[in-house]
Amino acid sequence: MTHSSTDPKTTSTTNSSIVFDHVTKLYPGQNAPALDSLDIEVKSGELVCLVGPSGGGKTTALQLVNRLVDLSSGDIRIGDRSIMDIPAIELRRTIGYAIQQSGLFPHYTVAENIAIVPNILKWDKSRTTRRTVELLELVGLTPVDSWLGRYPSQLSGGQQQRVGIARALAADPPVMLMDEPFGALDPITRMAVQDEFLEIHRAVGKTTLFVTHDIDEAIKMADRIAILKPGGKLAQYDTPAEVLTHPADEFVAEFLGAERGLKRLALTTVAEVLVAKAEPERPAESDLPKVEADVTLREALSVVSAAGAHGARVMERGSHLGDVTLHDLVDPPANAVDARNGEGVGL
Amino acid sequence: MSGIAPAGDPVIPDYGQASECVINNGPFCGDWFVDQWATVFWPPLVDHIYMVIIAVVIGFVIAFAAALIAYRKRWLAGPIGIVATFLYTLPPLALFQLLVPFTGLTLLTVEIALVCFTLVIIFQAVLAGLAAVPEDVKRSAIGMGLNQRQLMVKVELPLALPSIISGLRIATVLTVSVATIAAFVVDSGLGSPILKAVSSPFNTQFIGAGALAVLLAFVLDGLLVIVGRVLTPWMRARV
Repeated sequence: MTHSSTDPKTTSTTNSSIVFDHVTKLYPGQNAPALDSLDIEVKSGELVCLVGPSGGGKTTALQLVNRLVDLSSGDIRIGDRSIMDIPAIELRRTIGYAIQQSGLFPHYTVAENIAIVPNILKWDKSRTTRRTVELLELVGLTPVDSWLGRYPSQLSGGQQQRVGIARALAADPPVMLMDEPFGALDPITRMAVQDEFLEIHRAVGKTTLFVTHDIDEAIKMADRIAILKPGGKLAQYDTPAEVLTHPADEFVAEFLGAERGLKRLALTTVAEVLVAKAEPERPAESDLPKVEADVTLREALSVVSAAGAHGARVMERGSHLGDVTLHDLVDPPANAVDARNGEGVGL
Repeated sequence: MSGIAPAGDPVIPDYGQASECVINNGPFCGDWFVDQWATVFWPPLVDHIYMVIIAVVIGFVIAFAAALIAYRKRWLAGPIGIVATFLYTLPPLALFQLLVPFTGLTLLTVEIALVCFTLVIIFQAVLAGLAAVPEDVKRSAIGMGLNQRQLMVKVELPLALPSIISGLRIATVLTVSVATIAAFVVDSGLGSPILKAVSSPFNTQFIGAGALAVLLAFVLDGLLVIVGRVLTPWMRARV
């Protein structure tokens, strides 16, 4: 057991893709399937969001993967192995699982909660302790010593969710399943935990299947989005930008909502537009409103609109990077948007 | 030898040596109580404690097992509950009467009856405790790969503990009280001095024994509260 085996940054070099192969789930006593012949592939290291209205079968799809729900037909493969070839209990111990309300054991301390899977896998104590400390640092609960002994009731919702994520990562599973993990958080905490989780995801590179009913969360988090419609049929499976620009059908367009265009602008930052623009223009006007380089076009547009201006001055740590025009914001150069699109795979 | 008749015989206070209080049959005579502690009060108290502990322990084992079975096989919860409730609703004296032809005027008769009264309380408490384990906690436990036994031992039973302990507290206090009626069957427990004092009205004896029964209920209840606290540290954790 080398140190590297407990390093949170260990990225599995083996294939940990999740393949849904004509997956259908028909619950007993119901005449319509909850999930109808789902065919998607989540590539190794990718974060895929399953979205859709309730009754779309997204949670069913997730629970089929760790066999909390049994397949009716079709197959699911993790790596190249069918989940049906692995005993359910053994399978679950190799899959990180985080759910809404965190599902933390209220009678276990933070340290004990994180150690649940390591303990049933019979890791030795020092390895488990080392891992627990690493994970708490990873999710930003520092100084670690002040968190180890607390009970979940002593944590805020956001802190509980962070512990839930640490617990799901405990045994370094190649695959993570997350079922509306941030659903119960207030909007501000939710944004913060989303950002942290994205950072963690980029650092650890786990193949992640993420269920949410919140399309904005999906747009923000996902490399690709699978939109399910009632009856468990896949409506569209594509990158956030592609889904927003070219919704596959009426249902998807409606699900994305009237602000679809604005949501698309939220995918790109002004810095990306500046990079994409061949030669930075420097208009003479100096009364342009200032925006930070890492804000999205949507936010920049809001700033520009509020100031009644026709462009914005892009700043980074106090220095002037360049200016963007109203036209840049509303219709960003295609390569700025593409830069974001390609980023997802192979983190 | 104090010169005053022990409780086993009809109480004929020896007016010659007794205190003012005893002579006037005052509500409670401390001196007599202290004098008679070793013969009239202490032995029945010890018997009473044994009677209660035996009944609650056996009742707990039976009811706990029944609750686990009912939790696994939900359709059994109804029938078991009805049987337990029926046993609980029987008047204690009638139950003694029913049992005596089979088991005689013995401690066994008493214990069978006492156990019957604890069953429904503990059964319902265990079942309610298990049923109240949050669904998301169970789902995450199963999702992490706990098997059924690990789920029960590591999650369901610990989280049911507060409910189980409160069931045990009620059952224990109730048994302390019902066990005084055992004196109708056997000459044992705190009911015995009370019964005798009722037939020959000497206040100190039945007030003393009655007070001891109340005190015993409080003490056992308090012990269970402490046990509960020790076993459920997370219940007291505050920010």
